[in-house]
Order: sequence, then C-alpha cells, then structure tokens
Amino acid sequence: MDRAALRERLEAVVGASGVIADPTDLLVYEYDASDEAIAGRHRPDFVVLPQSTAQVAEVVRLAREYGLPVTPRGAGTGLAGGAIAARGGIMVVMTRMNRIIEINERDRYAIVEPGVINLELSNTTTPRGYFFAPDPSSQRACTIGGNVANNSGGPHCLKYGVTSNHILGLEVVLPSGEVIWTGGPAPEWPGIDLTGTLVGSEGTLGIVTKVMVRLTRNPEAVSVLLAPFPTIDTASNAVSAIVAAGVLPAALEMMDQLSIQAVEAAFHAGYPTDAGAVLLVEIDGLSEAVAESADAIADICRQHDAMEVRVAESAEEREALWFARKAAFGAMGRLTPNYYLQDATVPRTKLPETLSFVGELSREYRLRIANVFHAGDGNLHPLILFDRYEKGAIERVLNAGTDLLQYCVERGGTVSGEHGIGLEKKDYLTLIFSPDDLAAMAGLKRSFDPLMYFNPEKVFPTSFSCGEVAAIKESGVPVAGGLGLEDVV
Amino acid sequence: MPNLDALPAGVARRDPQDYAVDGVVPAAALAPATVEEVSACLAAANDAGLAVIPWGGGSHMGLGNLPAGYDVALDLRALDGVAHHEPDDLTISVRAGCTIAELDRHLAEHGQVLPIDVARPDRATIGGVVAAGLAGPRRFGYGSLRDLLIGITVVLPAGRIAKGGGMVVKNVSGFDMMRLYYGSLGSLAVITQVNMKVIPRPRAQRSVVARFPTLAAAVEAAEAVRTSQLAPTAIVVLDEGATRRAELPDARWSLCLRCEAPPVAVARQAERIAAAVRHGAEAADIVENDETTSLWQRIALALDAAPAADTIGVRVGVAPSQVSVVAEAAMNELAALDLATEMTLDMGSGLCYMRASGEPAVLRRAWEELAPLGLHATLLTAPHGVKTDTDVFGRRPAGFDTMRALKAEFDPRGTLNRGRFIGHL
Ligand SMILES: Cc1cc2nc3c(=O)[nH]c(=O)nc-3n(C[C@H](O)[C@H](O)[C@H](O)COP(=O)(O)OP(=O)(O)OC[C@H]3O[C@@H](n4cnc5c(N)ncnc54)[C@H](O)[C@@H]3O)c2cc1C
Ligand SMILES: Cc1cc2nc3c(=O)[nH]c(=O)nc-3n(C[C@H](O)[C@H](O)[C@H](O)COP(=O)(O)OP(=O)(O)OC[C@H]3O[C@@H](n4cnc5c(N)ncnc54)[C@H](O)[C@@H]3O)c2cc1C
Repeated sequence: MDRAALRERLEAVVGASGVIADPTDLLVYEYDASDEAIAGRHRPDFVVLPQSTAQVAEVVRLAREYGLPVTPRGAGTGLAGGAIAARGGIMVVMTRMNRIIEINERDRYAIVEPGVINLELSNTTTPRGYFFAPDPSSQRACTIGGNVANNSGGPHCLKYGVTSNHILGLEVVLPSGEVIWTGGPAPEWPGIDLTGTLVGSEGTLGIVTKVMVRLTRNPEAVSVLLAPFPTIDTASNAVSAIVAAGVLPAALEMMDQLSIQAVEAAFHAGYPTDAGAVLLVEIDGLSEAVAESADAIADICRQHDAMEVRVAESAEEREALWFARKAAFGAMGRLTPNYYLQDATVPRTKLPETLSFVGELSREYRLRIANVFHAGDGNLHPLILFDRYEKGAIERVLNAGTDLLQYCVERGGTVSGEHGIGLEKKDYLTLIFSPDDLAAMAGLKRSFDPLMYFNPEKVFPTSFSCGEVAAIKESGVPVAGGLGLEDVV
Repeated sequence: MPNLDALPAGVARRDPQDYAVDGVVPAAALAPATVEEVSACLAAANDAGLAVIPWGGGSHMGLGNLPAGYDVALDLRALDGVAHHEPDDLTISVRAGCTIAELDRHLAEHGQVLPIDVARPDRATIGGVVAAGLAGPRRFGYGSLRDLLIGITVVLPAGRIAKGGGMVVKNVSGFDMMRLYYGSLGSLAVITQVNMKVIPRPRAQRSVVARFPTLAAAVEAAEAVRTSQLAPTAIVVLDEGATRRAELPDARWSLCLRCEAPPVAVARQAERIAAAVRHGAEAADIVENDETTSLWQRIALALDAAPAADTIGVRVGVAPSQVSVVAEAAMNELAALDLATEMTLDMGSGLCYMRASGEPAVLRRAWEELAPLGLHATLLTAPHGVKTDTDVFGRRPAGFDTMRALKAEFDPRGTLNRGRFIGHL
C-alpha cells in the first residue's frame, strides 16, 4: 500500500484534520473500554473522522479499492473490543457526525446522526415530553450509533425493551458502497427487516450514518423505591418474586455490598452501607397504576425480608439514586486498580443460585467480585477486581469469567446480554451455537459483505472461518461432519 | 410433472387439494411431525429442485405474489404444542404449528398472555404469524411480536437446522436471526420453533367506543389520546362498513380504544379517555371487561386478509399523524371506481386497511390507484387474476439488492415460497 497516496486521498475526502495517521495520535484508538489485557491492542493504519454520509461512503470506497479492512467506531465505550481495528486498516470514527436532525413529537421519532451522545438526545427530548428508552449506564459518553451496533440495553429496558425495539429506520453505508435507508416512521415495511438485522451487528454489516429512533411518551407518573436486604440471597429471591407476581416495573436493579460501599464512598447518594444488597425499583405509567404497583412491590420486598422500603419523594432524590447506580462502574476505581466486567444473562428464576455461584467463584479464585446489574432482566454484571501487575491475576480472572459463562449457559442463559461479542467473547459463542447455527449467521454476514472486510475478526469464533462455511454450502450436505468444524462444537 | 419419488416415505401425507395457493394445487402435501422430518422433507425437495410452500393455518395464504412454482405443501401443524414454559421467567418456547388459541389457553392458565391480535386464533399458527410479520392494533401499547421474539429455530432449505437467540430476555450473543426471519414470509427458511417473552395477563380491561359524524372529528379525537399520557394499548377508527362488520352500533365513523391495566387504574383510565374523546362525538361509551376481548376479536376480523374471490385487501403504511390524509385519498379513489369498500385505520401505528369488493378488472384498477399512497402499500389479498403482473408488496425498498443477496445465500435454489416474496424473490 502506498500510505502517503492513500493519506492524501483520504484527506481530500474529509480534510486534513479528519485523518489521523501518526502512531502517537493513533494510540488512543488502539483499544476501547474493554480491558486491554483481555481484548488486546491493535493499531489502525488510519483513523478517519467523516462529517457527512457522502464522506463515509467515499472512505468506504477507498478502503475497498485498497483492500483495507474498515472498523466503525463511536465513543469507544464498548466492553467487548468491538471498536478495535483487529486487522488494522481504516477506522471510521463517527463522533463528528453528532447533529440531532429532526425531532417529531407527533409521530414520535427523532432522526439523529450516529455520533450523538445517548444522554444528549434524552436531555433534548425529555423536556418536550418524550424520551429515548435505551439508557445504558455509559449514556453520558456512548453514541447512538454504538447503541445501535451493540443493541445496547440499560435499566429501563426491562419494561421498554432493548435498542432494537426503538429503532425505526437507519441510513447505512453498506460494504458495497451503496447508501440506503431502511424502515421509516410507518411500521411493517414490506420485505426483509434490514433494520432489525443491522441492529446488534456490531459494525460488521455496514456503517450507520443516520438513525431514526422511536421516542416514547414520558409517563404520567414515576415512583422509585429503594429496598435494602440483609443478603444478596434475600434480594435475589425478591427479584424473582416481583417478576413472577405480574407487576412489571420500568427498572429493577441490584447492587451488592461491595458496590454500595464503592458508590457511597464516591457519591454519598444515601445507599445503606450495612445492607447485603439493595434493589432499586422504578415504576412508571398512569398515576393510579403506579400507586397500585408500587404498593404491591413494596409488599413483596417486605415479605422477602427487606430491611426497609424507602420511596424517593422528589425528582432530585430519584436523580441522586440513579446517578450513583449508573456511575457504579466508575466508582470501582476506589476499590481496585483494574476490574473485568462480565456480562451474561440467565433466566430470571436462576438468579439466586447464579449469584451464589458468583460468591463461590470469588472464594475459589481469591478474587473480590462486585455485582451491579439489571436484575429484572436476569442480566448479570459481576465486576471482578484485580491488579494487572499481580502475577497470575489475569489468568485467574479469565478462568473465573469462563466458569461463570459456562455455568450461565448450563442454566439456559447466554454469554452476552448487552455488551456484545466483539473480540472478547467470540470464542464463547461455541458454548451456545452449533456450526450450523453459526453457518446461518455467516450467511447473513456474507449477504451484506461478501468481501468480509467490515470489522473483521469480530463475532465469529476464531476457529470458524467463513471459507469453511462456504464449503459446507456448496457441498450441500446437511451435517457438518468431515469439514474441519468438529473442534467448533 | 415434478419428480416426487425423492420425498421421504415415512412422513405423513395430506390431500394436496386442501393446499391450493392462488389457485395452484401442489403435487404433494407433507405433514412432518418432528424437526428431523422437516429437515428430511426440505433436503429432499431442495435436492430434487421442487418448490415448497410452508403451511401453517393457511389463514394468510392470500399474502404473496403468484407462486413461480409449487410442488409441495409443507404442513407444519403436526409440529405442535408448547416446548418449554417457565412461568416465573415470563418466557415460552413454542413449536411452529401451535395455534394462537392453544398458546393463549396455555398462557391463561398461568395468568399470562402474548399480547398480539390475530384474526382467527383457532387457525393461525405461531410459525405463520412470525413468517407473515403483520401486527394488529395492540402494537401501539405492546410493540409487535417482532419485539417479543427472543429465540428461533429454523430449517434451512438444504435441511440444516439452525437456531438463533435463546431463552433469556436480553441477549446479544451472535447476529439477530429472529429479526431476519420475522416477516420474511418463509422465503429464507422454515420456522420450527420460536421463543418469546410473554407478559402478565392484564388484570382488567375496558374499551371506549365513540361515534362520530365525520372522519376529521374521529381522527381529531384519536390524535388527542394518542399524543396524551393516557396510554391506551390500541386506537382504531372504523368506517361505516367496518363498524358493521365489527358488530358495533351503526355509525358513520367509530373510534375504539383499548385499556389494559390493574383494576382500579383501568376504570379511571377508561373514564379519562372517554372524557377526552367526547368532544365532537355523538356518543362515547365504556365497554366492560368481558365484552372487551370479543370486541377486539371482531375488529381483528375486520382486518382479516383471508383469500376471497371478489375482494381485495390493501394495507397502506404512513406516519401516524398522516393517516387521515391517506384515508381521504383512498376514499376518493375507491368512490370514483364505484366499489363497495370498508376501511379500518390503526391510528396508533399508522396503518390503513382497505377492503374493496367488485369485478376483478376494477379491483386491479383500485390496487393501482392505492399502491402509490403513503410510504408503503401492500396488496394483502386478492383474487389471483388481480395479482398477475404486479408486485403485491408494492414499491421496491432501497435495500432490495441486499434482500436479493439474502435470498440467494439462504435459498440459492429458490425452494421456499418461490416467486412469492417481495420483488418476486
Ligand atoms: C461504564 C460503562 C457502563 C456501560 N453500561 C452499559 C449498559 O448499561 N448497557 C449496555 O448495553 N452497555 C453498556 N456499556 C457498554 C457500551 O457503552 C455500549 O456498548 C455502547 O453502546 C457503545 O457505544 P460507543 O459509542 O462507545 O461504541 P463503540 O465502543 O465505539 O463501538 C461499539 C461497537 O459499535 C460499532 N459501531 C459504533 N458506531 C457505529 C456506527 N455508526 N455504525 C456501525 N457500527 C458502529 C463498533 O464497530 C463496535 O463494534 C457500558 C460501558 C461502560 C464503559
Ligand atoms: C387483523 C389481523 C391482525 C393481526 N395481528 C397480528 C398480530 O398482532 N401479531 C402478529 O404477529 N400477527 C398478526 N396478524 C397476522 C396473522 O394472524 C397471521 O399472518 C396469520 O394468521 C398467519 O398464520 P397461519 O398459521 O394461518 O399462516 P399461513 O397462512 O399458513 O402462512 C402465512 C405465510 O407464512 C408462511 N409460513 C407459515 N408457517 C411457516 C413456518 N412455520 N415457517 C416458515 N414460513 C411459514 C407461509 O408459507 C405463508 O406464506 C394479524 C392478521 C390480521 C388479519
């Protein structure tokens, strides 16, 4: 590759300030928010910061011409290494495309560029009576484009559903260079649901350049309950009971003692530090319904040994509780030099036993583990605390993580609830999917990206190359025997 | 004559006469009872170059372009029943041939519900509902089934069994295959099992039914509620004919709203909604708990798109605030053709359903007039004469090349629903 010539051509597209090529400047793009010890570091050849869809399309055409991989990136808050340029090439960073283009209250949508920060969108629409429901804890930093690519979740996804449920349409630059709009403000567009297949595809099928998001009407009433429990066990039993009782809160979050201590040390939000765990429950909807459901939930908590049930009276009090919850990962810095954040889901009835298994892992591997998570969804986030410079620590952390994923899968769960597969988890996919399952997914990938140059090395297991899948397809045999795929199972 | 010798001998056969699609009767009808049998049937048909149409309840066979070949009907109803239900997790896994009525009975025993509307629940199967991807008016309150799917198992044309998702409510492991297959009309794969989130059965419901002299007045009232915080789960406007079909009191225009909530709250909600729509209405009544289910069942029937000899059903999609613009335009077009028509407007979602009866040639003109309306238009059902030389899915969307690539990748031999999907894929 003639680096200088390509640099010039890229600069001609996005301007000199839109191309980064010096190794020192590229440093920050070598990793994302996933732990470097786990996802590794990879340097892109170029980072490009386009300001329009046309520029993105032009950059993609250049990458194609030069045979270079393309890695889309938002704010880099991803926890699975998804935004790392695993094979170098051109990284397309979307943060300069950060305009809110249209807000349409009557038809309940907004059109935004992908670099818009999640919280910024909510802050803009909430005073107007509408909100964008997906609210990842990283919402102060992460982009809507990243949310779309990772199909991100957040506390309020319990009632409102994950990002996929809130995306009405997308403008995308496809690997072919073609720019298309999928979907729109009316539901049920005829044909294959390309919007739905693109959401959650982790930047492997296209670069999202505009997003039409669904706006949800602000609820008439909101109530937030804080219930401390003596043990994590009693708290998780309460979670299962609330889900089973048929009252669906907007959010149902749990923090264990270690997390409470970190959060209190950092923010003094008023969480009781003597509790074994707390539940943070938000109920919203029509005033009468909120009152009825809040009482029911408070009763269930008391029946499950809650030490008390506190109701946040004012909007400020609610804010303070939520702020501390959402900043909990950051607060861990007070307890540890490094932490590894796992993300797995189990059926909600399996929460109590899974949490006690996390306790066992902590003892077995001599690692402190904090739990802050979306309990109502069964979506665990154990934070494994460690010191990278301690000999053998990383190995123990990884082994504990693997044991946990295995345990969750055996109980009907899965290896990622919301953070994505990226680089970090791709080899765990074989715990849940057969070669045939993966072959179908590879078929989806190939339909969009036959050259396989968009975000390579992501999602699919290392031992599973798409060439092998193509071989199966051509041979037309209904089983995967004899094709070198045995080790994938 | 298609060569049927290759089809597996052990699989139950049915009478092909019962499986006509657009007037075409297949050479064979198979009713596999296990996923393995589905796989064997498909692999054999695919190998022999036969064209297969998967068959659920057959209630929505009117939807689709004229088949470009049809040798084998693959009846999935023997693949029935609930595969797995953990009530306390609010998740369920159901085999494709399970009817919506059977599923609902099962869930009701556990105080749960799958919040979708289906015209004929005793016939429609979950596989067919997922493949067709059409949602009724409760989409406004609950989203569509698309958003409730958490896992899926399919058999690909060469016989390979492939799953996606799982049995948990939050899952980003691997690509979202549920959304790929949902609404793809069985043109990529045969669905054999689906996993879904379910919700607690609302403990109480009410409906508000109001009568209006004009479309404008009905729409204004509907819009007032849609943009409020009153949170009904469905908002529908019916014209005179649809009102009659739904067995509601005669009215030029009816507005129906559904409330589903805890008991105390629902009574207040219905009163507040009734108060909000009363302005401009000739009457606004509250329908009680028991009546509500059957009322919405009748409204769903008004949207039904079962094949009929002299009727077309057209659905136009539009931004919700623009429904009345489309409705007015459609009324004018249809009135000019002198056709007997019925119209149901899903105000919450932005879908207008039109039904017209008459001579095939006039019906064809009606479709041509309606096809350019709104953002997208679909000929949901029509006598086969009307379907010749048109794409019932209307305008080609921007991503059509990718759809074509998907079809070529998943079904390279065109085994499934040959020619029936968008762009005659
Ligand atoms: C403290 C903390 C808390 C978090 N809490 C949550 C949480 O509660 N819930 C949750 O789900 N996640 C959470 N995350 C993870 C992360 O914030 C989300 O995955 C987020 O959506 C990523 O957005 P981003 O803009 O940082 O994307 P990046 O990290 O830059 O990219 C993520 C992926 O998206 C792709 N991508 C980015 N932009 C585009 C685009 N425009 N087009 C195509 N592909 C694109 C990238 O290639 C990559 O694969 C948390 C992370 C941190 C650090
Ligand atoms: C008023 C109204 C409201 C509706 N509301 C909803 C709603 O809220 N939610 C909702 O989801 N649907 C809704 N529908 C859709 C409708 O109920 C279904 O489309 C329908 O009944 C299909 O079921 P069936 O088993 O009879 O399918 P069939 O008529 O047998 O098949 C329909 C199509 O799907 C294909 N197919 C069938 N089974 C399979 C399979 N197992 N694998 C692959 N392809 C298959 C067939 O080849 C055919 O092309 C509504 C429809 C109407 C008319």
